[in-house]
Amino acid sequence: MNVSQLPPNAEGQHAGSARPREASSGREAEAAHLAELMTLCSRGHEEAFTELYDLTSQRIYGIILRVLRSPDHAAEVTQEVYVEVWRQSARYSPGRGSVIAWMTTMAHRRAVDRVRSVSSEMARDERYAFHSGDREIDEVWDGVEQRLDIERVRKGMASLTAIQREALTLAYFGGYTQSQVAQLLKLPLGTVKTRIRDGLIGLRDALGVEA
Amino acid sequence: MSEIHGAVGAYVVNALDPDELEEFEAHLAVCPTCRQEVVEFGETAAELSLLASASPPPAALRGSILSAISEVRPLPPEPPVETAPSAPTGNGSQTITADLRHAVDELALRRQQRRTRVLSVLVAAVVAAAVALGGVVYTLVQSRQAQVAQQAAETELLTAPDVQTYTATMKDGGQISFVVSRSLDRALFIGKDLPAVGSDRTYQLWTLEGERAIPDNVVAGGGDRQEFFRETLSGVTGLAVSIEAAGGAQQPTPSTIQTVTPLSS
Repeated sequence: MNVSQLPPNAEGQHAGSARPREASSGREAEAAHLAELMTLCSRGHEEAFTELYDLTSQRIYGIILRVLRSPDHAAEVTQEVYVEVWRQSARYSPGRGSVIAWMTTMAHRRAVDRVRSVSSEMARDERYAFHSGDREIDEVWDGVEQRLDIERVRKGMASLTAIQREALTLAYFGGYTQSQVAQLLKLPLGTVKTRIRDGLIGLRDALGVEA
Repeated sequence: MSEIHGAVGAYVVNALDPDELEEFEAHLAVCPTCRQEVVEFGETAAELSLLASASPPPAALRGSILSAISEVRPLPPEPPVETAPSAPTGNGSQTITADLRHAVDELALRRQQRRTRVLSVLVAAVVAAAVALGGVVYTLVQSRQAQVAQQAAETELLTAPDVQTYTATMKDGGQISFVVSRSLDRALFIGKDLPAVGSDRTYQLWTLEGERAIPDNVVAGGGDRQEFFRETLSGVTGLAVSIEAAGGAQQPTPSTIQTVTPLSS
């Protein structure tokens, strides 16, 4: 897809910035920048929050939507997450991991909590469920570096065993509990638990080696 | 130890079932190795989330969020935590130790979300006591402190050393309590036997700063409810409840104000 066809905020301010081409130092610079923005947020700088939103919202909304499947619910939960990020900004510290990891964790947790609290009546939007696929990423995701990052993660996932990958995918993107994953995969609970952890270890190592 | 340790992956992807979640969180509080692994896996999961970035959020959401945060005050930093003498050095472990309080706070919040049913029993007991005793809730809470020490933000609030409970009867019926802790900077609304207000109307909470009323969370009518105030308490001189159209209002409608409770500073 041509960049000119992209919706306006797919082109975040970072897209054209002169970050180093080397992937890992680019990520480090971006991580450091997000941490600075978080510090400014804690002092009440709304412009810093706006930039933080512009730099991260596609990722945060993306994971929430993937888990929830319903754009309406996803928008609500995204708002909750960002208000909480703002509220808690003084309480973020690097010891808890990077800003993006901290935010993603919060987003995923709230999405999963929402799925489980309303699952019976809410109905994840099935139209979305059946039409959503990784191919969408290629169509709208912007920027060479992001593409490379996604490619790295894809390769990392491809390096896992099929069961590790499937267990991790159902748990993380599907929002299923490990018992539900065990039922879906017809595997003992203990096996699923181990595969999820092994999958994360494998992915961590694969990403670490390439970085 | 090894068995519970193995749950760290499922924990990070939020896949633990409630019982095991509780068990693992208790373990996490005492296991630096698992905390380290939670941080590392958190980074890995964040990268994994890249695969879900399907499309940008709706443009309207941006405006909605930016206007929402302009009405929310960021919490103050937490006081520094003394680092445990045995903290291992290097590789971020020190900061992880220092962050334990954070972790525990966050865990408490999660438990609060997941355990409202359990808590409602406790809270109902507290409300009964608060209503009966006109706010002398502390002794009751204290006597339960040991058994509830591990529970949730509500419990944390109810057991805060400076907790104060204000009770009132609302204009159109229903007993309410505000449980307030200045040190935690939070207030909880507890309503008992709230009259139903229909699906097109809602109870709305307000924080008062002098003459100014700041809209806070809304609470459905009918039965027993509890809801944290969204706002922190700095500068807040009182709390109020009104009945507004569904979705809430920016200013309280004078004729529907149910109670106005001044807070001691």
